Amino acid sequence: MQRRTFIQALAAAGTLGSLPLAASRSLADSSTNSSFPLSVDQLPPLEGDLTLYLGRGEGGLYENVLEAIRKRNPKLNLQIRRGSTAALANSIVAEAKAGVRRADVFWAVDSGAIGLVSDSGLAQPLPKDLTSQLKTGFQYPEWAPVTGRIRTLPYNTDRLTEAQIPDSVMALADSDLSIGWAPAYASFQSFVTAMRLLEGEKATADWLRGISKNATQYAGELGVVMAVERGEVDLGFANHYYTLRLKSGKPDAKVDLAFTKNDAGCLVNASGILALSEGDLPVNFIRYLMTREVQSYLATEAYEIPLVDGVTLPEGLPALETVSPPKVDLTQLADLRPTLKLMRSVGVL
Amino acid sequence: MQSVVKKLIVRKYRNAGLIAGLCTLLATGQAAANGAVGDHVNHLQDHLGQYTEEVNWLVGKFDGVVDTYEEKGQKATHSDSMIEFWEEVDFHSAIETNYVPVYAMIWQGIYGVKQAIDAGAPVETVRAEQAKLDQALWQALGAVKLAAQYQQKGLLAKIQTTEAEPTTAPETLEDIKHRLDRVVAKYAEKLPDAATTIVHDTYLQRFEGVEGALIEQDANLVEDLEKDFNVTLPKALSSNASVDDVRQVVVAMQAKLDKAKALLIEAEKDRKDVF
Repeated sequence: MQRRTFIQALAAAGTLGSLPLAASRSLADSSTNSSFPLSVDQLPPLEGDLTLYLGRGEGGLYENVLEAIRKRNPKLNLQIRRGSTAALANSIVAEAKAGVRRADVFWAVDSGAIGLVSDSGLAQPLPKDLTSQLKTGFQYPEWAPVTGRIRTLPYNTDRLTEAQIPDSVMALADSDLSIGWAPAYASFQSFVTAMRLLEGEKATADWLRGISKNATQYAGELGVVMAVERGEVDLGFANHYYTLRLKSGKPDAKVDLAFTKNDAGCLVNASGILALSEGDLPVNFIRYLMTREVQSYLATEAYEIPLVDGVTLPEGLPALETVSPPKVDLTQLADLRPTLKLMRSVGVL
Repeated sequence: MQSVVKKLIVRKYRNAGLIAGLCTLLATGQAAANGAVGDHVNHLQDHLGQYTEEVNWLVGKFDGVVDTYEEKGQKATHSDSMIEFWEEVDFHSAIETNYVPVYAMIWQGIYGVKQAIDAGAPVETVRAEQAKLDQALWQALGAVKLAAQYQQKGLLAKIQTTEAEPTTAPETLEDIKHRLDRVVAKYAEKLPDAATTIVHDTYLQRFEGVEGALIEQDANLVEDLEKDFNVTLPKALSSNASVDDVRQVVVAMQAKLDKAKALLIEAEKDRKDVF
């Protein structure tokens, strides 16, 4: 059994996972196209009126990006409506049903909300030269993933060794490890949705029941990571950046990251953007988010994973070739209803 | 009575914390929970006479309730009418949109009197609660008058009748502090479930957005606030704690949020440019 951990990955040891070649390449190959990433200097100026619906993101860092775009493009009249990603997605669909379109562009913190809008037939196709800037496996015709995040198993380094952590998320349900989780948290629910799609309803229900026997519930996933670090639980389920940020602020934190292999436990989810109105302006606006500068900024400042080829990963993240995420169409994570129903039926919500 | 008001206003002018609170709260914008906010809140100066009349009216009405209790006893006293009186006046939204901590004190005062009556407490006890309520009302009028002056000078942003989203971490932290004031207000209003919902939503919709950046600056502070949001405050709200005890938890959290704000403002100075 080969286990992937934070420290191991820093040593860049490991082999490619068991994914099909295309999927493996999706994260491993960061230099497929030498012409990417583009610099902002190569883009045309943005001019005209543009309304962006912006899902709540990383505590102001998305705002910094938008402000920088504004400053660089004084002839751009950018109007922003902010709110929760799910609420904005619902608004866009409702507005379309009412025969109005207020948003030109929708930037969402999770791909599920993107799926909700694109499934409604509201997204404009994106040009190939834009989508081809993205890593293989993250190229979609009607939306562009902006940055990614990996599901991880943060574990307490005093209480566990890496050898004690299964590399199968499903196997955790049969372990006697104490676990921290945040079932009400959107990222966790997307992860359960992925498991439902990959493993089926029954296996997911059994897994939830099994985990819940040894689980302590927390409100959010930073809370999970901090509980792991305190030693309240052996390990937890959380997106990667919480642990990286904790270790940045507390270098001696007793927590490390482990990854499962080729299952929902190491799902890579993404924030994404789509154009709702036709024309060059929305598309060119999206191009700004794909630039080396913006991708690097979000990687270094928010610890998000750049999804454009050729941009350096955030510090502290394992080399992505050591991670083997499952192959999932991220927009399929849109329909949370069966997931919520399942989670309620087994009593974890 | 006017001299009392003047003293309170003067006291308020000396209270830098209140002034800062007024500026912040009005700048961030908010919507009242109890019905629509009338546009009068953006024209406070024009309505100061009305508000003063309303406060006098309320003081008289509350006094009448206690008089009835004193003269005719508990059965003849409709303590619920105190809530109806309070919800009837425009002054209600004027203070709710201007200074939530005092708004909470008014609710606390109303329920102080009401519960004393409902419990059949001695008249002296009820009068003592009534005095606290009156003081809160006059303090509130002082706060609204102060806000009116700031509004006249154009120092305050127009009060929004729909919720505004903060766009920076310091704005978010100020918004969180304001929401915590509302937690106390809802709890004082005897709506613990509503108060708990605000705590939960504030954590998920606001604090979650800034704690990632904050943990890079001070992991222990985040740990403290995590515990406050998820254990200490919800526990206080569900354990029938006094309004003063809940307020104490909130005030302590607000002090930590101020520290967080200072840290994030400092950290932002070192943040690299996007382009």
